[in-house]
Amino acid sequence: MGLAMGPVKLDVHQLLSAIVSGDDHTAHVLVWDLRLPRVAAALLVGACLGVAGCLLQSSTRNPLGDPQLFGLGGGAAVVQALAMAGVIGIGAWGLFSLSVVASLIGAGVVLLFASRQGISPARLALIGVSLSALAAATATGILAEARIFSAQPLNFIGGSFANVGWQDVLPALPFLAVGLALAATVMGNLNALSLGDRVAANLGAEPGRTRAASIAAAGILGGVAVAVAGLVGFVGLLVPHLARLLVGHDFRKVLVVSIPLGAAVTLYADQTARLLFMPSEVPAGLVTALLGAPLMIYVARRVL
Amino acid sequence: MILSLEALSFANRGTAILSGVTTVIPDKALTCLVGPNGAGKTTLLRILSGELKATSGEFLIGDADATRLSQREIARQVSIIPQDVQPPPYLSVSALVQLGRFRPYGALWRRLSRQDHVAVNASLARCQVEALSRRRMEELSGGEQQRAWLAFALAQEKKFLLLDETLDGLDVLVKKSSFELLKEVAAEGKGIVLTTHDLDLVTHFADKVIVLGSGKVVYEGPPNAGWEHRVSPAGQAR
Repeated sequence: MGLAMGPVKLDVHQLLSAIVSGDDHTAHVLVWDLRLPRVAAALLVGACLGVAGCLLQSSTRNPLGDPQLFGLGGGAAVVQALAMAGVIGIGAWGLFSLSVVASLIGAGVVLLFASRQGISPARLALIGVSLSALAAATATGILAEARIFSAQPLNFIGGSFANVGWQDVLPALPFLAVGLALAATVMGNLNALSLGDRVAANLGAEPGRTRAASIAAAGILGGVAVAVAGLVGFVGLLVPHLARLLVGHDFRKVLVVSIPLGAAVTLYADQTARLLFMPSEVPAGLVTALLGAPLMIYVARRVL
Repeated sequence: MILSLEALSFANRGTAILSGVTTVIPDKALTCLVGPNGAGKTTLLRILSGELKATSGEFLIGDADATRLSQREIARQVSIIPQDVQPPPYLSVSALVQLGRFRPYGALWRRLSRQDHVAVNASLARCQVEALSRRRMEELSGGEQQRAWLAFALAQEKKFLLLDETLDGLDVLVKKSSFELLKEVAAEGKGIVLTTHDLDLVTHFADKVIVLGSGKVVYEGPPNAGWEHRVSPAGQAR
């Protein structure tokens, strides 16, 4: 659907021929250079956010865990805003690296608070929301100061896949691999962490190390997501809760299922954002917010 | 195998919590650790479980010097149910007990082996929570929850089991049946240490009593007549 639908519709025959041959140059460019990278970006960002949300929710025992709600994406958002404003010009790879580093700094702050005994889930989320709001305000301020008033910053703050190309997707892949590999080293310990740090430690699960690795992996994946599509909110919150409905409470299964589920949710959110008001479109983040915000209110009411 | 402590002390930021504790925790026995709040009972359990390192003194597990062992190494012999433990509300009794067979950093898709299932089922049966195994922890009464936690600890098949005020807060009849269960489990080979404030049940069921007062052992031995006079009604050790 993501490849065929749009202002220029392709039927199945046109789509297949555009994919396998370059005879119809317009259709070929439309599919390979415009629609396919956008679909790939939505799948990749959704997978990143789904896994990051699952890691945060399980390692901090907080059902409100989400890379954006916890403020992980904030630092990356500031980096991206600085790049858009022309303050830093370091190429796509450099920008990805810097976004991930900034997101890891946010992850460090979350780890600092999450490691403190007795901090409530709601308070941790409030700290994260404050950090996120501060970062979003800073990013907006940078863009306003640079007098950038095009659709680009709006799409970035709202979270959008408009105009995403292969140059935005390919540099994300190694970071995705590193984030998933780091998550894989500790995901076997996440179930033990649900019993609390003292019992988990007695089971040999090393809660401090497991939490640090989980939050660092969430930082990498959250930074990647922001670098590709800006601040796509609530996917990280929503997806692990949906995954639990499907596969139960084993965090190993929830984490693995969050990869395709996050990808699918984000892809459909983007297609809705793209096609609902065709030919104009809204940021995908608006669609995910429509789904995620009521869930956040519901979960927050339960944990407060 | 026994746990033995010799002149063991622990201080936190210069404040002595335990001073010169010398005692033995035998296996095949229910040892009750008694004393007023702040006497150092929880700190002693945290040292025995490897969570805290003693400031000075000896701690042996059998012949092994436990002061040189990591928490993970100590945890292979000693399990603990802390005082303030709270399971996630969604967890079922069987899922909790299966976590007793958890292997850290194990294969991601490790499933329970036949031996694991035998241990889980035996623990559920031993603690009389088989019929509750599909129920969620949040649906259980206090006494049922404590039996589920005990099944979780037994499934780990460790030699020693530390319970920090696990039974306090239960009603008298439930508490009595829990003491009976612990006594039976201990007789089958486990060394159990239970901190509690219920002196009557300690007198009735404990094989050994250790009374702590201000971080020191003020009585150690069987709950013979008059032992409870070492602990004042106000909870202050004499």
